[in-house]
Amino acid sequence: MRSYAAARTMEGLLIPMGALTAGVIVFGLFCAVLGSNPFGVFYSIYRAAFSDWYSWQNTLTRAAPLLLCALCTALPARAGLIIIGNEGAMVIGAVGAVSAGLLAPDASHVPSLLLMAGAGMICGGLWICIAAALHYYRGVNSVISSLLLNYIAIALLNHLIEGPMRDPSSLNNPGTRPIADVQHLGLIPGSRIHDGLLFGVLACLFAWFLLSRTTFGFAAKVAGGNVRAAQLGGLGIGRILLILSFLGGACAGLAGMVEVAAVQGRANASVNAGYGYVGILVAFLARQNPAGVVIISLLLGGMMASGGMLQRAHNLPDAAVLVLQGILFLFILWSETLYGRWAERSLRAG
Amino acid sequence: MRPPSIEVRGIRKRFGGVRALDGVDLRVEPGEFHALVGENGAGKSTLAKCMLGINAIDEGNMLVDGTLWSAGDPRLARQHGIGMVFQHFTLIPSMTIAENLSLPRPGLPAIIRWKEERERLRAFFANAPFQVDLDARISELSAGQKQKVEILKELYLGTKFLMLDEPTSVLTPDEAEEVLIRLRAMVNRGDLSVLLITHKFREVMKYADRVTVLRKGRTAGARSVSATCPEELAGMMMGETRTIEVVERDAKVGGPVVFAVAGLRTRGDKGVDVLHDLSLEVRAGEILGVAGISGNGQRELVEVIAGQRPYHQGRISVNGERYVPERECMQRLGIYVLPEVPLRNAAVPGMTVAENIALRQFDRPPFTHNGLLSYAAIRRAGAELINRFSVSPPSPDLPIETLSGGNVQRAILARELGGQEIRVLVAANPCFGLDFGAAAFIHNRLVDARNRGAAVLLISEDLDELLDLADRIVVMSAGRIVHESIRSQADQVEIGRHMAGHAAG
Amino acid sequence: MQADVAMEEWGVVLGVAAGAVRGSIPYLFVSLGECLTEKSGKINLGMEGVLLMGAMTAFAVSDQSGSPWLGLLAAAIVGAMLGAVHAGLTRFPKVNDVAAGIAMILFGSGLAFFFGKQFVAPMAPQLPLIDLGSWSASPAIHSALRISPLFFCGIALGFALHFVFQRTRWGLRVRAAGDDPLAARSIGIPVDRIRMTATVAGAGLAAVGGAHMTLYFPGIWSEGISGGQGLMAVALVIFARWNPLRCVAAALLFGGAQALGPSLQAAGQAGYYHLFNASPYVLTLALMALTCSRHGGVSGAPGALGRNG
Repeated sequence: MRSYAAARTMEGLLIPMGALTAGVIVFGLFCAVLGSNPFGVFYSIYRAAFSDWYSWQNTLTRAAPLLLCALCTALPARAGLIIIGNEGAMVIGAVGAVSAGLLAPDASHVPSLLLMAGAGMICGGLWICIAAALHYYRGVNSVISSLLLNYIAIALLNHLIEGPMRDPSSLNNPGTRPIADVQHLGLIPGSRIHDGLLFGVLACLFAWFLLSRTTFGFAAKVAGGNVRAAQLGGLGIGRILLILSFLGGACAGLAGMVEVAAVQGRANASVNAGYGYVGILVAFLARQNPAGVVIISLLLGGMMASGGMLQRAHNLPDAAVLVLQGILFLFILWSETLYGRWAERSLRAG
Repeated sequence: MRPPSIEVRGIRKRFGGVRALDGVDLRVEPGEFHALVGENGAGKSTLAKCMLGINAIDEGNMLVDGTLWSAGDPRLARQHGIGMVFQHFTLIPSMTIAENLSLPRPGLPAIIRWKEERERLRAFFANAPFQVDLDARISELSAGQKQKVEILKELYLGTKFLMLDEPTSVLTPDEAEEVLIRLRAMVNRGDLSVLLITHKFREVMKYADRVTVLRKGRTAGARSVSATCPEELAGMMMGETRTIEVVERDAKVGGPVVFAVAGLRTRGDKGVDVLHDLSLEVRAGEILGVAGISGNGQRELVEVIAGQRPYHQGRISVNGERYVPERECMQRLGIYVLPEVPLRNAAVPGMTVAENIALRQFDRPPFTHNGLLSYAAIRRAGAELINRFSVSPPSPDLPIETLSGGNVQRAILARELGGQEIRVLVAANPCFGLDFGAAAFIHNRLVDARNRGAAVLLISEDLDELLDLADRIVVMSAGRIVHESIRSQADQVEIGRHMAGHAAG
Repeated sequence: MQADVAMEEWGVVLGVAAGAVRGSIPYLFVSLGECLTEKSGKINLGMEGVLLMGAMTAFAVSDQSGSPWLGLLAAAIVGAMLGAVHAGLTRFPKVNDVAAGIAMILFGSGLAFFFGKQFVAPMAPQLPLIDLGSWSASPAIHSALRISPLFFCGIALGFALHFVFQRTRWGLRVRAAGDDPLAARSIGIPVDRIRMTATVAGAGLAAVGGAHMTLYFPGIWSEGISGGQGLMAVALVIFARWNPLRCVAAALLFGGAQALGPSLQAAGQAGYYHLFNASPYVLTLALMALTCSRHGGVSGAPGALGRNG
C-alpha cells in the first residue's frame, strides 16, 4: 500500500507539470504559426518576470491580488461549490474599503487600515454569500450566478463613481475622492512591493491550515466529496457553504482593499483590472489547493507582468498572455482524467 | 419468421483475472421456454450478454439455426431476432411509450411521420400480449408497467428469441404471474422462444419446459422440468453443501418502543407526496422488517431518516424525544443508518477508507482536540475497524471508491456499528448484489445489534431476507403501511398480496 | 410640455421594443444553441467565449473580404470548432462540464482579444436590413422597424428546433442521449457522437449570435461587446425549461430588459444608466431563483445533464 500512496504523490506532482509543459508547447506552436519565434517568446516572458530583482518585484506585486482572488474560488471549491465571482467580490471589497476610509478620515495608520480591510472583507464576503445562498436555498447554478454578480458589481461601481461618490475633480477618469495618505498601505522594506503580498501569503497559509488541519476542513471535504454522505453525517451543509463562501469572498474583498489602499488610492474603474478572472485560473491550475495557489500565483503573476514585453519585443498583442492562460487551463482540466491510473495499477500489482 | 434454434458450446469468458464463464453449454429449441438458474455470480447475465453480442466470447461457439455464428455484434443479433430484457430499464424516461417503441425501430425514417408510426404500432398491438397507453410518459409508469413496455419493445423489434434477466424482481406477484402467463402463451403458439434467467424455482417449475443450471461459470446440468424437482436444482446450484454460522437470536421479544415514526408525509423527486401519514414503531431488541415492491416510498423513508430529504408533516422520535437530522441530535440519540448503494449514499468516494469510517466520530476526541483534527488517530481507529469487519484490502489509506461493492458495504457497516452505543439502526437493502458470504456477514451483524438491544429497522425488497431476520414484518405500499404480521405468523402469500395492493391497480 | 413627456414615454416604449428585437438576437441564437447542446446531456458554459469569438471573427472576415455573409459563415465555423474543443475535452472521464466551460470562456475570450486587437478601429460591412417601416413618416418608427434578417432566422430556428426534437429521428436520439445515456446506448444510439454533434452545432449557432453583434449597427468590435450575454443565454435555457419555443419568448424578454438602460438614457434619465444596464443580470438572477428549486432538478431538465457517461 505504501507504493500506492507513493504513486498518488507522484501523480500529484508529475501530472500538473506534464500538463503545463504540454500547454506551453502548444502555445509555442501557436506563436510559431503566427510567425514569432517561440523560444524568443518564452525567453521574453522569463526576462520580464523572473530574470532579476526588478522583474521579480513586478511579478510579486501582481501575485499579491492573485493569491487573494484565487482563494475566492479555492475555498468554496473544497465544499463542492464553484464560484467565479472573484472580480465582483474584489470590486465590492474596494467600494467597501474606500467608503470606510472616507468615512473615517481622521483615524491613524493602523486602525484605518484595519477598518478598511475589515469593511472590504465583509463586503466581499457577503457578496459571494449571495451566490452561495442562491445555490443552497434555491439550487441556482453558482457559476452563472456568481459571474452575473460580477457584472452587477461593476455596474454598481460605475454608478457610484460616476454618481453619488464621484469626486468632482476627477474628470476623464471618474473615481471617488482619494483616501488620506496615512490610509495608504506600506511597502515591504527594501522593495517596491506593497504589503498586500504579505496579506496574500498569510491568507493562503490560513486557508491551507483551515482546510487540511481542522475539523471544519474535514467536514467541508466531506460536503464537497458527497453531499449525501454529509447529510447522513448530519453536517450542516448550508453553514459550511456559507462560511467558506464568506471567507473566499472576504479574501477577494481584501484584494480590492489592497488595490485601493496600495495602488489606486481611491476607487475607480481601474479597480476592475482582471485579477479576479486570472484568480479563477490560478485556483483551477492549483487544483483548488491553497499551497498550490502560492506557486501558481507567482507563475501567472509573472505572465501578467510580461504582457508589455511581448508587445514590444515580438509585436504580439498583450492578449497573447490570455491565450497562453486559456491553453494551460484546458490542459490542466484534461489532465484530471489521468489521476488514479498509475496509482490503481500499483494497487493491482501490489 | 419462426424462432431460431440457439446453441452455445463451451463458451469461456474472462474479465481481467476473473473467469466469468468457464465452459458453458446451452441449447434452446425453437418455441421452447427455457429457464437458466444459478447463484449470484454464477455467470447467468454474462452468458446472456455473450449471446447478445455485447460481450465478446473468448472461446467456444454459438450456433443459430445450426450455422456457426461469430457473436460480438448486437445489431447482427437483432437481425436474427435475438433480444434481451435487462435488469436495468432501457427506456428513455422523458419520452412517451410511442416514442420509445419507435426510436429503436430499424428503418425509422429521418423525418418521422407519426401517423404512419402509429398505424404500425396499432397493427402490432392487435396481437401484442399487453395493451398500454401509447402517449403515457415512461417516467410516469410503475416498475411493473415499465417491464411490460420493455417486453413489448423487444417484440415490436421482431425478437423471436427473448432473454429476460430476472424480470419478475421488480414486479408484484400478480404482475409477475400475468407477464409469465402471456409469454408462455406466445411460446405455446410457436411465436417465441424464451430464455428466463431467474432464481425463483417456482417460476421454473410452473412455466419452463427445460432448465439449465450454472455454477461458477460452468453448466452444472440441464433437465427437462417434468423430470426434476426444486431440491435437485438447488443441489446442482450450490454444489457441495455449505455451512453458515448464524448468530443465535435471543429469545426475548421486544422491550419498550425506541424508534417511532408518526404521520410522516414527504414529497418525492417529482414534487408529489410519496409518503402518506406513514407511522411505525420499533422496539428495543427488535428487528422490524419493511417489505414492499421498490418504489413505494421506502427509499424516501430512509432518506428522511438519514437527513437527505426534508419532510413537511409528521414526527420522528427516539425514546420519546423528537429527532431532527442534525449531527448533535444524531449522536445524542444514537441513530445510525446504512442506506442502499453506500458508495453513492453514505461514502465520499475520493476519501480514504479510514476517513470514511471516521465520518460519525471525527469531531470528538480522540480525533479532534480544540477544533484540530488528528489524522493519525483517524487512521488508527480506521485500521482497527477494518480489521474487525474484515474489509479487504485491509488498508486504511485507499480511496474507498477503489474497493469492491461488498467491501464498501462492510466499511460503512463498520462505521455505523463500530464502537458507539446504538439505539436505532436503519438498514436498506443491505445485501443487494452481494455474494453469499458477504450477505451472511451483514445479516449476522444486524442480528447481533438487535441482540444487544438496538431497535433495528430493516427495509428490504428481498422477502426471504425479511422472513429470516425480522421479528415483525410490515408491508409498505404506495407510501403507507398496509399490513403487519409477527414472525411466527408471517404468511408469504398474504404478504405478497398486500405488497401488490396498490401497485397492481 | 405634456406632449413632450408623452413623446418621451412613447420614445422609451418604442426604444425598448426596437431594442428587444435587436437585442434578442444574440440571446436567441445562443440559447437555442445551448438548448440543443443541453438536450444531448452536455452543458456548455463556454458560450460567452463562443459569442466573443463569433463577434470577432465575423467582424474580421467581413472587414477583410467585404462580405458580411462570409463573416457570418466564418463565425459559425469558428464557433463550431470551439464547440468541438469543449465536447472533445469533456468526453474524457473525470473532466467536468462546468469547469471546462469556465476554461472555454477564458480561452475563447483570450483568442478573441488576441486576434481582435488589430480590428479595434474601423466599422466592417454590415448585414443588410429588412425595411418594414417605410410606410411611416416618423423617423423613430422607421428606424425601429429596420430589422435584421437574423431576427427572423432566429425565430424560425426556434420552431425548426422544436420540430427536430419532436419529429425527427436525430432529434429523438439527441433527447435520448441527454435523458438516459445508458438506455440510449443499449438501443444502439451512439451517445458520444450525438453529443459531439449537438455541442458542435450548438456552438456554431451561438457564434452566429455573436456575429450579429458586430455585423449590425454600430458594427464595432470591442472587447466588452458581449457583456455576459453568453452566460445569461445559458441561464435563459433553464428558465425556458429546455423548450425551444419558450427560449424564443425568453430571448425577447431579455432583449427588452437589455434595451431599458440605453432607452432611458436616450430619454434623458442618465442618472441611473449603469444600474438600468445591470437590469438583465438582476432579472436573470431573479428568474433563476424562481425557476430552480432547492432539492434537485428543474422539471423538464434532461435526465443526465452535465453528467459524464
